Amino acid sequence: MTDQQWEVLKKVVGGEAVKPLPVGFIVDCPWLPNWYGVTILDYFSNDGVWFDANLKAISDFPDVMFLPGFWSEFGMCTEPSAFGARCTFPSDEFPFAHKIIASVDDIDLLTIPDPRTDGLLPFMLNRLRLAQPRIEEAGHTIRFAVARGPLNIASYLMGSTELLTAMMMQPEKVQRLLTTITSFLKGWLGLQRETFPSIDGIFLLDDIIGFLGKEEFRSFGLPFFKELFTTDVSIRFLHNDAPCRVSAPFLPEMNVNLFNMGFDITLAELKELTGDRVALLGNIPPRDVLAGIDKTKIVDAAGKMVNSLQNTTKVVFSCGGGMPPGVRSENIRLFIDAVRK
Amino acid sequence: MNELVETIGRCVERGKINKASPFPGDMKGLDGADELTHQALEAGTDAEAILQACIAAMVRIGEKFGRNEVFVPEMLMAAKAMKAVTEHLKPFFQSGSVQAKGTFIIGTVAGDLHDIGKNLVSMFVEGNGWNVVDLGVDVKPEKFIDAIRKQPKCVVGLSALLTTTIVSMSKTVQEIRALFPSINIVVGGAPLTMEIAKEMGANGYARDPQGAVRWLAAIREAS
Repeated sequence: MTDQQWEVLKKVVGGEAVKPLPVGFIVDCPWLPNWYGVTILDYFSNDGVWFDANLKAISDFPDVMFLPGFWSEFGMCTEPSAFGARCTFPSDEFPFAHKIIASVDDIDLLTIPDPRTDGLLPFMLNRLRLAQPRIEEAGHTIRFAVARGPLNIASYLMGSTELLTAMMMQPEKVQRLLTTITSFLKGWLGLQRETFPSIDGIFLLDDIIGFLGKEEFRSFGLPFFKELFTTDVSIRFLHNDAPCRVSAPFLPEMNVNLFNMGFDITLAELKELTGDRVALLGNIPPRDVLAGIDKTKIVDAAGKMVNSLQNTTKVVFSCGGGMPPGVRSENIRLFIDAVRK
Repeated sequence: MNELVETIGRCVERGKINKASPFPGDMKGLDGADELTHQALEAGTDAEAILQACIAAMVRIGEKFGRNEVFVPEMLMAAKAMKAVTEHLKPFFQSGSVQAKGTFIIGTVAGDLHDIGKNLVSMFVEGNGWNVVDLGVDVKPEKFIDAIRKQPKCVVGLSALLTTTIVSMSKTVQEIRALFPSINIVVGGAPLTMEIAKEMGANGYARDPQGAVRWLAAIREAS
């Protein structure tokens, strides 16, 4: 992100009115490789291609905040790889990690990975470190430490059904698993901050939150996210595009100050659920509308979203969730124009 | 309805699998669906009556889910309790005294390892009296096709959680459709809508497990 974009984002989070209305998107491997015209495997395995794709995005849309910006990642494999999960990388499909916990008793055998050396993390960090001079040459600064959230990682390590039923059957084991993962995440986020002192934001992505009821969220979500987000950075950003009505009221307590949600809830309802204490990044339908072929739908959805708000402070206009595959440049431009009209 | 059958239904609704299960807390130490079904069958209770009570229980928990009164973990526990019951009822299915409504082949499409939605639908549909063939996660189109060849009158369910795997789901529908033009396919998952389902050529879209059960009932009635 440019310094100016970062300042704008901080103003939005602080509740200041910003003109023109801010537009931002979470961009990563689901969108960038296809948009740039390369395979997903090339995007992951060729640092030059990864850099150029990101550079083209920021050059084509200088007035859009791309979050987190130059995200060095390996899709859903990034953090599970550090725990030893087998990772599958099809040539032009999204990678995925295989389970490593066959039964809850295996949780006791897990050790906390070293983010300096384990799995894909050194590759991820070193790619970003090597690219840092060129990123800065392009006028951008590395601002976010990024990771999947503890529930999301747990679901990859043991399977989502197994994780959710274990919460009911052996809650103490799940607590132990989440404690281990949270310790790892603190180290991983800390290492990113140590490597790039310009980092002033934390970005966690976790859609397993959306499957929990209030009581489960209080036990298995809230304390861990709170621990991770209780830190001295300006932006504490959470993505959960699964249902969020249960967890949204807890966002301020989690110390989240920027939230990206799905499209099944209105910004107005979220403002109410959070007491307007959390800035929102969202939320027209990503696939049906933003990636669709009907241009009027994009303009209508963007206009409706802006007009639905009594005041437009504390909002970065975007789609619900991250930028989906297949969104063309012209659709993004239409969206920007419609928001700012 | 006999009291034991009612209690089995209550165990299913509350997700009380067996005596050893600590969930739900207020039923800890009590017999669960497993033990009570065994006792009921031993006492000569009609298997069909047990099944119907459990189907009603699954409908109730599904409705609570629809009203956000319970969430996915409770649904999974109810489905597991239902599975404990159907394990006891299997011999009655096989003997023909309890008739399966049809065969439902389900899987999470290639490239997606999420199994929550798929498992919930699978367990609810099975609990509703269907024979379910669960192909698991990351299922390639060929695997669906092989399974359909073995059960040509089946209904197919495709699940996906990731927005990114919609492409894979669409490809799976097309490949199945090319070989089995008249087969019924229902799709479901967080990134889907009825519109996307139609675009990819599916016959139906289910928003939640109860929706899948309703859709299956409707197509069964229509056929």
